[in-house]
Amino acid sequence: MFSAEGKLFIGFGSSLPLFGCEIRLPHADPNMAEIETLGILDEIQSLVSDKLQVVSLVLSTCVFPYCKGSMEGFFPSVFSRMSLGVMLRFSFLVFLVSYKWLSRNFLVSSNDAKRLLQDFVEKRGTGVEVVYTLSGWLKTDPSVYHIRLVSKPKLTEVKQEFDENCSVQIYSVQACLPKDPAVLWNAEFVQAEELFKQPHEVNNCLRDNRFCGILNSFVKRNAEEANGTTSVLPVKTTGTSGSSGYTLANQSPTIPQPQQKKIQGTSPNVTLQSPNVVKDVKNESKPAENKLKVPQLTVNTKKGETDKNSSGTGGALANMWGRASAKSKAECASAKTNGISNSAAIADAQICAREEIEHESSDDEGQGVNVRRSYNGEVGRKRRVVFDFSDEEDEFKDAVNLASPDPPKKKSMLDSKRSSYSSDIEKSKLNFEEEKEDKPNFKHRKETDRKSKEENLAFGNHNNMNSSSSEKVINQVPAVDTIAKDKTRDAAPNSPKRKKVLKTRIDERGREVTEVVWEGEEETKPESDTTKKADNIPASNNSNRPSAVKKSPAVTANAPLNQVGKTGSKKAGNKDPKQGNILSFFKRV
Amino acid sequence: METEDSSSENGLLHRKQALYSSLDSCFVIQKEMYRGQQYSQIYFARLHLMRTLLYSLLPNWKPHIQVCTVIGLEEGKECIIVGTLYKHMKLKPSILEEYSKERSATPLVRPHNFMHPDDHLILEDESGRIKVCGDVLLPSVYVTGVVVALHGKETGTGDFWVEDVMEGGLPHQIERPIKSGEDKYVIFVSGLDIGSSTSNPLKFQLLVDHITGHLGDKKEQSIAAKIVRVIIAGNSVEIPRGLLNGQNLGSKDQFTLFEPIKELDIQLTQIAAGIPVDIMPGPNDPANFSLPQQPLHRCLFPSSSAYNTFRSCPNPHLFQLDDVSLLGTSGQNIDDLEKYSDANDKLEFLERTLRWRHVAPTAPNTLGCYPFTDRDPFFVETCPHVYFVGNQEKYETRLIKGAEGQIVRLICIPRFSETGVAVVLNLRNLDCHALSFGTEFS
Repeated sequence: MFSAEGKLFIGFGSSLPLFGCEIRLPHADPNMAEIETLGILDEIQSLVSDKLQVVSLVLSTCVFPYCKGSMEGFFPSVFSRMSLGVMLRFSFLVFLVSYKWLSRNFLVSSNDAKRLLQDFVEKRGTGVEVVYTLSGWLKTDPSVYHIRLVSKPKLTEVKQEFDENCSVQIYSVQACLPKDPAVLWNAEFVQAEELFKQPHEVNNCLRDNRFCGILNSFVKRNAEEANGTTSVLPVKTTGTSGSSGYTLANQSPTIPQPQQKKIQGTSPNVTLQSPNVVKDVKNESKPAENKLKVPQLTVNTKKGETDKNSSGTGGALANMWGRASAKSKAECASAKTNGISNSAAIADAQICAREEIEHESSDDEGQGVNVRRSYNGEVGRKRRVVFDFSDEEDEFKDAVNLASPDPPKKKSMLDSKRSSYSSDIEKSKLNFEEEKEDKPNFKHRKETDRKSKEENLAFGNHNNMNSSSSEKVINQVPAVDTIAKDKTRDAAPNSPKRKKVLKTRIDERGREVTEVVWEGEEETKPESDTTKKADNIPASNNSNRPSAVKKSPAVTANAPLNQVGKTGSKKAGNKDPKQGNILSFFKRV
Repeated sequence: METEDSSSENGLLHRKQALYSSLDSCFVIQKEMYRGQQYSQIYFARLHLMRTLLYSLLPNWKPHIQVCTVIGLEEGKECIIVGTLYKHMKLKPSILEEYSKERSATPLVRPHNFMHPDDHLILEDESGRIKVCGDVLLPSVYVTGVVVALHGKETGTGDFWVEDVMEGGLPHQIERPIKSGEDKYVIFVSGLDIGSSTSNPLKFQLLVDHITGHLGDKKEQSIAAKIVRVIIAGNSVEIPRGLLNGQNLGSKDQFTLFEPIKELDIQLTQIAAGIPVDIMPGPNDPANFSLPQQPLHRCLFPSSSAYNTFRSCPNPHLFQLDDVSLLGTSGQNIDDLEKYSDANDKLEFLERTLRWRHVAPTAPNTLGCYPFTDRDPFFVETCPHVYFVGNQEKYETRLIKGAEGQIVRLICIPRFSETGVAVVLNLRNLDCHALSFGTEFS
């Protein structure tokens, strides 16, 4: 019931526009809202089989009694039928129902939604305010095609201004007419925003315009590209110093691909829709790539920073959007369980299920992008890729334990809770686990924790295979020199005792060199380190330096954004202790 | 594919398609960079281009009169000179005035522009400059940067007395194919100003719903299905610039700064999901200031840029739809002309720029412009069939005809946030009408 509070908040927030205030709905925790929606969809679908019945039932039983203004009458009548979540969801919209909102919410076409609203108004429209769209050529100025909203009482009057061929269509139904017309737009936009926030790869009704009256088969949407643009940027900036390493690393991911396909093939997801299979398989190439990152991290143990580096250089803008794709995996999992449990019952649900599967697989991709980003950044710094087939398993595990002392318990709790939503727990659980088992590998380091959990659950047979194979694909063992260099620089910003200082000196060729160095209590070691570096590899050093210096602003820019995304906040928490350790390691050397 | 088939069985409409080809390459700055070059080169390129053109027209105009340069002028001898006009303006703001010791007694600037009765024109070529006088060449009409041919003679006072003027005139036009018998509409909209207090998001939502085929009955949707492209001509967002103070922004401020763009992206996603859309940068958009404004970066629109229907275009925007060529700007060129010259209406400015064969003659003098070294991208080589300009006060349109039978549709696109008006053009016959939205239902 924790989520109920969040929704209640929304409910009251949306009540403000009723009184003429122009307030957009507060952005409650998006994850929370998402969870709620999915649960509701599930409930509605299991409630009634026919979608049209769903709409009319919902409209007639809960929404519109309330519209008439009897707040007391609303709660009991609905409470008996629906869960609190559903009810609160409707408190969100009771103030107005526009045809477009209806169409998106109940997955019917706009024209059907208008018809439904019209039906409703005709049958039980007493006491409800109706707004129509009136469109046609103006009598006064025949060169103007005018489209306007009109309330019911003014309809006949305004109609006089129009050519007789004008069209009258219902736009929205509400309890009372808002003073500010923008309120009509508000609820719809909140809905659009919600759809917009979904990961790039999800093809929802906002993105394919499926409920309109005009088809355009020439429209193609490239979800890959959208992500590509965000991930390409950092490559450009950070990958310059090590182009050879970059290309090498880019080709290698193709190796484990067939294996991945096989795994996917055995999973039950594939049986649903053939187009999906194709899509899934396509997506697989990405996770395979992602896996490369895991061993890398264990060696270098500075993933957090490279992440930040890359996103920092990539621009905070892209990151803002990126938040959407970093949505918690748990949601998708539940989404899927819901979809599958119902797919047998309702024809409509098939579409949903497909959508959700896309959603889920796309989530993988979204993470893949993040991961790839950091990977590229890494390569740029290292300037070297060495294949090493030694067994890194132990080291890897250590790193994980060290890294995330708090496993995502909250998440798993959520998951289990949500899985109880569905009627068919057994089945859903199976799916749930199945899908999980592919995912954690591709996710960030923390996910591996969860993975180990799944192993306990004896579902994760593939896990071992995946992880071990992935670790063997590539291990970067950079030269000690470069490691030392990176370590000192990277670890430094996190140690609170030292600070960045600009130092000017004259080099052997008589030039004045200004450097940013880290100075503080332990200044002797890093100092000598940096100077040595400067002597040894001045070229690479210079190219590396800016990225290291850039880091701190990137952190500040990133941190607040990450607060919303779960992964981000966790990352920040994990980083510190680990890096402290490495620093001490190098001190010993 | 499946969905398409099934829904077409439901009697859904199919959107009309038009062949699109972009001719924007001349406006895209690729390898050019600033190496300390000045603006002289762009004037030189312009004079060179225009002079070749005007010389070729001279035999038809006044074949018997000798052509000479400014330095070769002889007093009392009739001749033709070709050069760039410079308009000396008393009221033109000059940065040097701020540094002058003594305050000059310049009259106060009139609110709408910098015109003054004492303004006069000067003609320049490489060899020299000469003040022009006479009743034929009105200083109020011309602006700095226009290249013309003048027929006249030098007077005793060292001025050039103008008897006749020749402008470049409407360029040659490629004939518009008349074969296509069906209506295809292009929607022009500008000045959405998303994020400003004046804009009404509901109006834009209605526009989007109309375009994408959500709004209205079957009849209206059948009209909307004939819309083949949407052109957004600048000033799509209004960014709260007050937040920008040179300091690093907090995350909250970043969010508010960024919110209008996100909202635009949401709306563009809806449009792009149903219909091709071109977005041009405008003076208030997060783009470069100087013309030609480069396309808004795709990363501003992560969602809508994923569509093949979404195109981010430069500011003078030149393209073809079904062999109808369209040229347009977001309005800076016309707004600048309005500051430094007079006309009865905005359309007259549009017409003049076409006759002068130059989209933005006041660039680089009073209009920001990239210092091109080898070309003048604003030179109009071929006559467009449609010439539009965004962000104007009101919707105006006119059909003009050239001497060679050229027909050009001129369109002033009003600011949508203030007027709620978009412009619809029929590609078949270049007919134009307004599409207006009202939301005051009570």
